[in-house]
Amino acid sequence: MTSRRQFVKLMAASGGAFVLGIRFSFADDRPSALAPSAWLRMEPDGSILIKVGKCEIGQGVRTSLPMILAEELDADFDDVRIETASPGPDFRSLGTGGSGSIMRTWAPLRQAGAAARTMLVAAAAQRWGVLPESCSTKASRVNHAASNRSLAYRELLADAAKQPVPAEPKLKKPSEFTLIGTPRARFDGPDIVTGKAVYGYDVRLPGMLYAVVARPPVLGSKAAAFDATETMKIPGVKKVVETRRGIAVVANGTWAAIRGRDALKVTWSESPHASFSSDGEVAELETLSESPGVTIRKKGAGRRAIEGSAKTLNATYHYPWAAHAAIEPVNSTAVVKDDSCEIWSPTQTPNGVQALAVQLLELPESAVKVNVILAGGGFGRRLGVDYDLEALEVAREMKGTPVHLVWTREDDMRHGFFQAPSVHRLAAGIDGAGKVVAWEHREVSIPHNARRPAPALDDLKDPAKAIGNAWGVYDTPYGWQSEEMSYTGVHSPTLIGPWRSVFSPSSVFARECFVDEVAAVLRRDEIDLRLEMLGVNDPEMPRSFEIDGDLVERDRMVRVIELVRQKARWGTWHAKGRAWGFAASYFHTGTYVAHAVNVSLKAKPRAGELPFTVHRVIAGVDCGIVVNPDGVAQQVESGILWGLSSMKNRITFQKGSVVEGSYDDFPVAMIEETPPVIETHIVRWNAERPNGVGEPVIDTVPPAVANAISKLAGKRVRRLPVTAADLT
Amino acid sequence: MARVQLTINGTAKTIDADPEMPLLWVLRDLLGMTGTKYGCGAGLCGSCTILEGDSPVRACQVPLSAAAGNSYTTIEGLSKDGLHPIQKAWLEEQVSQCGYCQPGMILEVRALLKSKPSPTNAEIDGALADHVCRCGSYPRIRKAARLAARLGGGR
Ligand code: FES
Ligand code: FES
Repeated sequence: MTSRRQFVKLMAASGGAFVLGIRFSFADDRPSALAPSAWLRMEPDGSILIKVGKCEIGQGVRTSLPMILAEELDADFDDVRIETASPGPDFRSLGTGGSGSIMRTWAPLRQAGAAARTMLVAAAAQRWGVLPESCSTKASRVNHAASNRSLAYRELLADAAKQPVPAEPKLKKPSEFTLIGTPRARFDGPDIVTGKAVYGYDVRLPGMLYAVVARPPVLGSKAAAFDATETMKIPGVKKVVETRRGIAVVANGTWAAIRGRDALKVTWSESPHASFSSDGEVAELETLSESPGVTIRKKGAGRRAIEGSAKTLNATYHYPWAAHAAIEPVNSTAVVKDDSCEIWSPTQTPNGVQALAVQLLELPESAVKVNVILAGGGFGRRLGVDYDLEALEVAREMKGTPVHLVWTREDDMRHGFFQAPSVHRLAAGIDGAGKVVAWEHREVSIPHNARRPAPALDDLKDPAKAIGNAWGVYDTPYGWQSEEMSYTGVHSPTLIGPWRSVFSPSSVFARECFVDEVAAVLRRDEIDLRLEMLGVNDPEMPRSFEIDGDLVERDRMVRVIELVRQKARWGTWHAKGRAWGFAASYFHTGTYVAHAVNVSLKAKPRAGELPFTVHRVIAGVDCGIVVNPDGVAQQVESGILWGLSSMKNRITFQKGSVVEGSYDDFPVAMIEETPPVIETHIVRWNAERPNGVGEPVIDTVPPAVANAISKLAGKRVRRLPVTAADLT
Repeated sequence: MARVQLTINGTAKTIDADPEMPLLWVLRDLLGMTGTKYGCGAGLCGSCTILEGDSPVRACQVPLSAAAGNSYTTIEGLSKDGLHPIQKAWLEEQVSQCGYCQPGMILEVRALLKSKPSPTNAEIDGALADHVCRCGSYPRIRKAARLAARLGGGR
């Protein structure tokens, strides 16, 4: 039997620093361990190994997911060790996105914990000759109060392993949770602060070579010819490899690879997009927004009701392309042998990486091992496998040699996919009594085209297909007598894919700013108007509705809004030169968020700096059951900074190329721009299930801030990012 | 190629490499010390911050030739047991999200506290003004830096 210490030594001796983040292995032949499912292995030394079936990108799943299993197991959380799952027959959906990690593993993890607990109790009851129902469990022990007997789980493993695995073990009621709902420290914390945590960029294998790729600077262009004479003269450069997307330079270190690429002479083919510009594309989106698109939600007379209203209002909002700009640029490490392949990827789609290798190398799935490595941020970028493909293509040419393929910051900024730009045109109809009776929201954007072929434009004329591109439009919780929402999708040579909160941020920005515009014209308090549009005094308005498979509960939105209004002491205090702004939203997986922000304008903003200061943020979140409240608070803080970043940066194209390349021209929010006061309030109620939080918490930040600065500037902000010129 | 002698975390090292190679890659690729992170390679993000003596420098901006004879501290050398007051403060405040930017943040705070054991909030912000945390952990970085000062992180 391999002891824990021997195992660590063994792995260290076998060479890779990459094993540092992964301290345990599940050997199959060890006696008297209990492993009733792929999620769990309990060792005789008392350690409880839980598999993490989602990818850690900074959102804390390596802590929150084990908590769920440990809760139902009644494990002492100090006994828990973790290991990241790899794709295989037991783990077919490790993909991490849509703020769904907790939601989607909630049931299987509880099931796995409860099944093991049931088996341990049965083993103890048998040994004591008592009924299982008379036993209780706590902190990795089974107790029998009546006879004052107690056994540690580790003493029961062999007997428990002989018990049948219950198919439907009894689960706890949420009111019985003792671990879920308590703040827990990150498992990876100590490794991070000592520099031991191993990210994709840090993978080091014996004999490993490093690669960077020269990619076409212009959209739609390809390498027509290249001359590597000078490249091969750079000391350390080993080989130049053609890939589908560009020319890879392979060297004995990152620096030599980069210098080799600098020396490469590539002739790029002519491209039909050589004169493409983002300004031109935005003008096209604008033109299209002049007519309604495919109707995805309609009530009453729809948009026609607006024309007949006593008063009408309309406004158009713009949202730019944006990069993920995760601090760790994308990278992937692969070794390809004749009959197998192993990959180390900081990915959000481990099964996708495996499928890619299976297809490219024509290997059986069992011959492709994917190691999921810590990622320095994800934000949707790592749902792409484009960089894994490059690593595999190069590794295939370097048979048997591990290839560490990295993107530089500029590669990452320019050659990934982007958040979609969009134009939103909103209109409201107001009756003689000052009530908003009709509403229209048109969105025009570029649908996702990076991970799959762009949908045919004809497809997007089908409302059932169009609707999924318009989160925040079709599912707005507000209701009116007449309403009409529509979507128009446009083809583009620019690559578009998932980005934090995907389709929501632009829609929510436009909608929540427009609500404030309407409130200002009506001289109404903007929170009162929102509550009115949620039907708080309207017996006719249903309290919930279903659309495209989502259940929208208006009273949950009302509750979050009321909470933030109260905590912000809304309307009761004002500081000179400052204004409050507010926004609220529902995210399509069932999370409700509101933000109140207190903001002032900067007299003389420096270049690359936000032209305003956010002094105070009051956030309210209803994400159902909360597993790790400190994790939720972290995400709320993260969402504020992400939202502020989206107010100061954008990606633009000129002559078919991305203009921005690094954090100087694509600036993100910095410490000096961080609000000094952030309050996070979580709605506590008897929720039945958890919902996601990482994405929903960003959407309402930009509109809340935009609403505040519009008051201060005396003119409406309708465009992101916000520049000083927009405020004067 | 050049032969350069320097000290890393108290250990003398002799490096034979391209004199223009940034110290960042010397550490990461030649010495296998991957705690110093690459984020931009252009002096813009601070992920690669290490200490030259007591001063913070960006390892991506220091060519090997300019490092000759100098003594550097990286995150691996900040403490033997991982329990430097700044590291403790970072864990206490649960700063890290993805964590990738944090070694650079921690070493920048180490340099700050060494010169100003009890910095003001503005001095903390000023020291970290050019450090990128894309995850947005700044609110906790501020708290942790203040706690680190109280724990004697400047000693
Ligand atoms: S990697 Fe050196 S400052 Fe960004
Ligand atoms: S914690 Fe992820 S970049 Fe700072």
